[in-house]
Amino acid sequence: MMLTPEVVGLVGVLLMLAMLALGVPIGAALGVVGAGGMALLLGLEPALVKSGVVAFETISKYELGVLPLFLLMANLCFAAGASRDLFDAAAAMIGHRRGGLALASIGGCAGFGAISGSSLATAATIGLVALPEMRRRGYSDSLATGAVAAGGTLGSITPPSGALIVFGIIAEQSIGKLFTAAIVPMITQALFYMATIWLLCTLRPAEGPATARVAWPERRAALRRVVDLTVLVVSVVGGIAVGWFTPSEAASVGAAGALVVCALRRRLSFAMVKKALADTLRTTGMIYVVIIGALLFSVFVNVSGLADAVAEFVAGLHGSPLAVVLAMAAVLLLLGCVLDGLALMLLATPIMLPIVESMGMSPIWFGIFLIRSMEIGFITPPIGINVYVIQGIAKDVPLGRVFRGVVPFLIADLIHLGLIIAIPAMALALPKWLS
Amino acid sequence: MTHAPDTGDATRGGPFARVLAAIGSVALLVAMATDAIAVVGRHLRVPLLGSIEIVQACIVLTASAATIGTTLAGGHMVVTLVIERLDPARARRFRRVADLVSAAFFAALAAGSVWLAIELWDAHEISETIGIPLRWFRALWCVSAAVVTLLFLRSAFARRAAGA
Repeated sequence: MMLTPEVVGLVGVLLMLAMLALGVPIGAALGVVGAGGMALLLGLEPALVKSGVVAFETISKYELGVLPLFLLMANLCFAAGASRDLFDAAAAMIGHRRGGLALASIGGCAGFGAISGSSLATAATIGLVALPEMRRRGYSDSLATGAVAAGGTLGSITPPSGALIVFGIIAEQSIGKLFTAAIVPMITQALFYMATIWLLCTLRPAEGPATARVAWPERRAALRRVVDLTVLVVSVVGGIAVGWFTPSEAASVGAAGALVVCALRRRLSFAMVKKALADTLRTTGMIYVVIIGALLFSVFVNVSGLADAVAEFVAGLHGSPLAVVLAMAAVLLLLGCVLDGLALMLLATPIMLPIVESMGMSPIWFGIFLIRSMEIGFITPPIGINVYVIQGIAKDVPLGRVFRGVVPFLIADLIHLGLIIAIPAMALALPKWLS
Repeated sequence: MTHAPDTGDATRGGPFARVLAAIGSVALLVAMATDAIAVVGRHLRVPLLGSIEIVQACIVLTASAATIGTTLAGGHMVVTLVIERLDPARARRFRRVADLVSAAFFAALAAGSVWLAIELWDAHEISETIGIPLRWFRALWCVSAAVVTLLFLRSAFARRAAGA
């Protein structure tokens, strides 16, 4: 039987999924299929040369330098005690209300998400400070763990987010625009989570009991402790939005600013900086390999014509753009149940982005939609990696209870995703206005 | 779920890992300082010429050192949902296959990069503004990709020996 390029593309996708399931590193699985598929379709020499070109272009790309520098900023802020201070400030302001500490943990996640840019890191660090406090004050395990697991997902969408940067590189979109596009969805997502907590605590007050109000001098002291971090984050994101500097420069300014924050807090030491750099390098190496693999895979998908074939198939269905987007959301949510978020994004982008563009929709909007779908996967069984992270912190809480705690937030997520689909301006209005 | 083994301090693991961490760290700090100074300079109307090229060169050093360091620490991102449910012997076999696939991937990257480096060697590529010689950075990446290939092969053979 003669294999058409499209069939080779489809077999490649299936082979890549099989390799992922069998424990091949994500970058290597994407890259081997990408390079191997190109060798099959174009010949060995073009495949090898393309691999060499993609690899060196990726590691020498100025715009991608933003990733290790933002990671460095996050690691320095973490070492400066950012997660504890952000949660404490939010807890001092609203912790006394019914469900207030859960609300504070969402606020802490949004704040730390802006520093860390990662769902996992946000869930883990805020979980470490918020969970013991909530449980000590009599919060139900399901509300406490559910709020932090869901709140952690804010890390993926809060700019400057690693997921947005990787999407920008893969889809060749402006990282600055993606950052500004993410602001309204991030704020509304946090508000949705807060509304969920309010509703849960109104219906079942015992879930998150009210506690003693913190006196104003203590509140002011807690707020003063996060002034430096707030100035840093607002300067970095605001500086990009108003054009003071590019995202790449913002990462350097942010990392340098984080060093200043550490110095002002008297936490700056050689050992601390060395550890922050070592952690940054470890994550950097991991992400660079994934990006090189994803870019090769993306070239292979394009060469095979699979993306075009899928786009033609979708066009042949004569469905409305809304129906196509809903179908894509369903596919992403289903795949998100069994596939890691980053792998899902890297697999979906080369196949779905051409469909989105062929329907005249904005790639920037698609990036936000994709990352929101990916975030939902972070708390959906059976993968739900944030849930495992939280259960790792609260080891005595059964996994099933954590998943049950996440369910109300999942419902909020689905409604929020529906809003992003129904009102693309949620993502597109701010970049348009700022431009 | 996805798993990147927590190997703790990436500078652990012998002098080679420590040297890599030092190179990557210094390059990252230089990149940070260069861009930050360039931003301040631009707003003060004292532009830092070639800042982007300096950052690019630093990022090549950081990415190369980080890729080897991550491989040494066994820190690449892996989906462990299936593999952690297998019996130890079968899981070890799959990990060996994963190492071989990873070695093949990096071998392809190394081969392609060497091919390009040879073709461009006599062209004496330099950066536009301050003339940084790019061929040495290409050569560095070729060596890095080759080292990662060898590390994955070593890991595969070590697993084989452990399983024997």
